[in-house]
Amino acid sequence: MCLQNFPCQEVERHNKPEVELKTSPELLLNPVLICRNEAEKCLIETSINSLRISLKVKQSDELENILTKKFLRFLSMRAEAFQVLRRKPVQGYDISFLITNYHCEEMQKHKLIDFIDIDKEISELKMSVNTRGRLVATEFLKQFI
Amino acid sequence: MDPATSRPAVVIDNGTGYTKMGFAGNVEPCFIVPTVVAVNESFLNQSRSSSKANWLAQHSAGVMADLDFFIGDEALARSRSSSTYNLSYPIRHGQVDNWDAMERFWQQCIFNYLRCDPEDHYFLLTESPLTAPESREYTGEIMFETFNVPGLYIAVNSVLALAAGYTTSKCEMTGVVVDVGDGATHVVPVADGYVIGSSIKSVPIAGKDVTLFVQQLMRERGENVPPEDSFEVARKVKETYCYTCSDIVKEYNKHDKEPSKYIKQWRGIKPKTGAPYSCDIGYERFLGPEVFFNPEIYSTEFTTPLPAVIDKCIQSAPIDTRRALYKNIVLSGGSTMFKDFHRRLQRDLKKIVDARVVASEARLGGEIKSQPVEVNVVSHPIQRFAVWFGGSVLASTPEFFAACHTKAEYEEYGASICRTNPVFKGMY
Amino acid sequence: MILLQSHSRFLLQTLLNRLHNLDKTIELDYHWVEFDDVRYHIQVSMKNPHHVLLSVSLPTPPPETVSAFYGGLPFGALEAIKIAYSGIVQILDPPRDGFNLTLRLNLSKLPPDEEYRHAILVKIASVREVVLGAPLRVILKGLGSRTAASNLDRLVALVHRPKESLFLIPQAEKVTVVFPMRFKDSIDIVLATSFLQEFVEARRTAGLSNAPLCLWSPTPPLELKGAPAEALSANAGFVTIVIFPRHVEGKKLDRTVWSLSTFHAYVSYHVKCSEGFMHTRMRRRVESLIQALDRAKPDSENSKKTGHNASFKRLSLKEGRTSRK
Repeated sequence: MCLQNFPCQEVERHNKPEVELKTSPELLLNPVLICRNEAEKCLIETSINSLRISLKVKQSDELENILTKKFLRFLSMRAEAFQVLRRKPVQGYDISFLITNYHCEEMQKHKLIDFIDIDKEISELKMSVNTRGRLVATEFLKQFI
Repeated sequence: MDPATSRPAVVIDNGTGYTKMGFAGNVEPCFIVPTVVAVNESFLNQSRSSSKANWLAQHSAGVMADLDFFIGDEALARSRSSSTYNLSYPIRHGQVDNWDAMERFWQQCIFNYLRCDPEDHYFLLTESPLTAPESREYTGEIMFETFNVPGLYIAVNSVLALAAGYTTSKCEMTGVVVDVGDGATHVVPVADGYVIGSSIKSVPIAGKDVTLFVQQLMRERGENVPPEDSFEVARKVKETYCYTCSDIVKEYNKHDKEPSKYIKQWRGIKPKTGAPYSCDIGYERFLGPEVFFNPEIYSTEFTTPLPAVIDKCIQSAPIDTRRALYKNIVLSGGSTMFKDFHRRLQRDLKKIVDARVVASEARLGGEIKSQPVEVNVVSHPIQRFAVWFGGSVLASTPEFFAACHTKAEYEEYGASICRTNPVFKGMY
Repeated sequence: MILLQSHSRFLLQTLLNRLHNLDKTIELDYHWVEFDDVRYHIQVSMKNPHHVLLSVSLPTPPPETVSAFYGGLPFGALEAIKIAYSGIVQILDPPRDGFNLTLRLNLSKLPPDEEYRHAILVKIASVREVVLGAPLRVILKGLGSRTAASNLDRLVALVHRPKESLFLIPQAEKVTVVFPMRFKDSIDIVLATSFLQEFVEARRTAGLSNAPLCLWSPTPPLELKGAPAEALSANAGFVTIVIFPRHVEGKKLDRTVWSLSTFHAYVSYHVKCSEGFMHTRMRRRVESLIQALDRAKPDSENSKKTGHNASFKRLSLKEGRTSRK
């Protein structure tokens, strides 16, 4: 996460995250792809002034799939509040974060890293769906006793 | 064709104090209930313990308690009789304040009160003219994702109040709506169905303040009302006995001359002991509504009388609309229901306008006579739910369904489509 | 609210209101729609303030159940109405245009006893249960009294929702009920499928061993052999519930009929509740994430400042230089 301020080369007085533009190859580093398996991977693309992290979350069944979709859509609708969240994920991934040098200047790096923990939330959501299903079923069946 | 368009749309007008809900095409809403949710929060306050089994038990209790809540009058009754329920008011000053509570409130409106399948009906909801577009997005998110409504239209409540005049006379979509609800008072000028946003005036005095003032007056006089009940009693006194007078001093005299005619009795039962009690209701009958005309008797921070606010509002609107605006001043909201409220408003406003005309004529030396300005405050019997009625009328026009945002559009473009809601043809 | 009430809240409120203000003459004309497309129309005229006209329209029956309709009403409904409302209600023939049933109710004929009156009005407000549940009640009652009916072991289709049916296989000692479950929304399908499997799981717990047997399968169960092809497609699978005589004893019959005939509405209601619950959870999660972000900022004062002039800062050259050093 060594990012620095870098004014745009093409247009004066502009300053854009180079990782998004990809106009000048000399400013980009090789992207890193970390795979746990096909379903769970993490792509890190870096450039001189910005860093893009994209995650693909494990979705073992359809329920997890829709819960992930729902949760991430909910998050992206509130992207403004998060600053580092991208409104649209990079293609092939579920969620993307864009961290620029300004974010690094404003925030402490190690705490920024703490932020991302989606797996746990999804499994908790899934459990609450199951618990609720069980309770709903129990209440229905109780009527017959 | 979408079969949902053959069924009446659901119209829900969520006000700060009361929510009116029902089906389009009817004259009255099915239910008018207080906008309040009683939530069982007993499980929330327990700290999370470390053992897994215990956590699981708590978790399922939490899921269950999530269904254990009440809305409206039932909520008020529950919170009174048991301490496990906490009251939560989802709307404050006309804006949604607690989205969790709001979502639950809608859930019960739909499934317990109206008992309809939200997938079967288009929905018309209302908002205040000052609502932020983000709030509209959140409303859309709940309606489309939780309830899967096929179509949604979010209307501005003042425009609906104007539309309520639809049947009583020729529909006039230009006018000033004086909306005095429980939590907020807005003066909203509307021209041809479009709100003139820059001229909206808000008054920090609303129905709840009348209640508080009545409560204060009764307490100061030392009336025998149990303190835990005094707000509710004040609200009922306001709703049943308050009226607007033409002049405070004269009214004081009238009361003093014939107390037997003017002083009313209130009878109640103490909630704790069950013992009956009674108290007198005197000057607060006319002093309550007087806070709108002489706010200095209630608050030191805001002292502009309502008629002056209306006049300022119209004077700040584009000049070519002003005459039309003076001509059609429409009252809406429960707190405009006081007897003779519209007469007093019309008289006071006319005074201000006439004074200005006289002043300007004097300035011009009497050479030019201006055409007199017509001031007209319109009151109709359905004022209490005028907004709902306007919604009911509009949602039963064929143009309504085309003006709605559909679920397909929501899925294609996202919640941002809810930001704008077109003014449609049925409104003229 | 967990279970669905069998009476219509609005209908009951209207009837009670009318009863308490009988001396006032008012005009009343109200149309409304309940879940599963049951439509109501209530009317009181100035001329006859004591008479209430109540019309009900039922969901469009699927083709396989049409044969079980007599004069626009399901099998057994007419008798059920006569038994439930004897003496107070008159059935108009033909019913109002567009409705299956019109009842004329004379409020002045109600008995004086307050409690009894209330019970009668609740019963009238539950008119959909009486009418739509009638055929199911007839079959389940046969089971309770253990009298062998003529249609044993034959597949019976009854209206469950508009253009959808539920299937019954009545046998001497049990009745098997099969629900093909369909949902419109793709997320609802997934959630409902997971809920329906929980019915099977819940039935296995000790406390519910006396409850009816529950099965769920993604494909049509064997019992549905002979059902029309369109009835055999269900995007949330098939639920089979087996009812034994002990589930329809005495007063339980009403409850059982209501729960079975509104099974889809029950599941659908809870699917939507749980989606609302998820929103609540996610909102809380978003709050905690924003807090985590705020914590990441060095101090709160600074964060406030940057919040306000974020765009401004991006353009400032001087700051940029200092950070490059």
